[in-house]
Amino acid sequence: MARGDSRFDVDISLEPDPVIEAYKKDVDRTLIRENLKLTPEQRLRQLMKLQEFAEELQAGGRRTRRG
Amino acid sequence: MTDFPAMLQALDEYHVEYIVVGGAAATAHGAARLTLDLDIVYRRTRENITRLVASLAPHQPYLRGAPPGLPFRWDAETVQRGLNFTLATAVGPLDVLGEITGGGGYDALVSRSQTLTLFGVACRCLSLEQLIVVKRAAGRPKDLEALAELEAIAEERRNL
Repeated sequence: MARGDSRFDVDISLEPDPVIEAYKKDVDRTLIRENLKLTPEQRLRQLMKLQEFAEELQAGGRRTRRG
Repeated sequence: MTDFPAMLQALDEYHVEYIVVGGAAATAHGAARLTLDLDIVYRRTRENITRLVASLAPHQPYLRGAPPGLPFRWDAETVQRGLNFTLATAVGPLDVLGEITGGGGYDALVSRSQTLTLFGVACRCLSLEQLIVVKRAAGRPKDLEALAELEAIAEERRNL
């Protein structure tokens, strides 16, 4: 369990949904496993960096379209 | 970029009662998907709405996607008359929700949330289990990929 996560519930007792199960095959669990090593705050900081990168890509795309 | 520290610290400074839901909550639980805003469910009492309005006012909230010049006033009366607001703020996009599909409002969700300390702030976040329950109940096709990831996170946690 990652630091700061001790109060997270994982007691899922829902019936498996065949559609969700089909989508689950494409989930990259290596990313999840890496994230689970982080604290919730570290995960949000990582998300902010990802957002920044996405904004850079969008800005680059706009510049390219303008020529 | 969503300035999560600034948003959470502003809400905390005014003692706003809220629960983090949606993509940011999923990230806190370990999701790797990109989300661009912060979704919160706020308690719809008069006092809390007053605190919510005061906390966000310095960040110039405006209706996201609305044309400039629209007569939108971020005040307690506006929030009281409305329910869910998708806002653009100086610290990033913020969805201020009175209710969420499949989950209801703050009072229905609070017992299904957990307190996390994020950026020095103790804030309530919907539990992983309840994120799954709510998304399943909402039944939106667009949530299927996110749901698959959340359920995979639950499985991975059980294996830790």
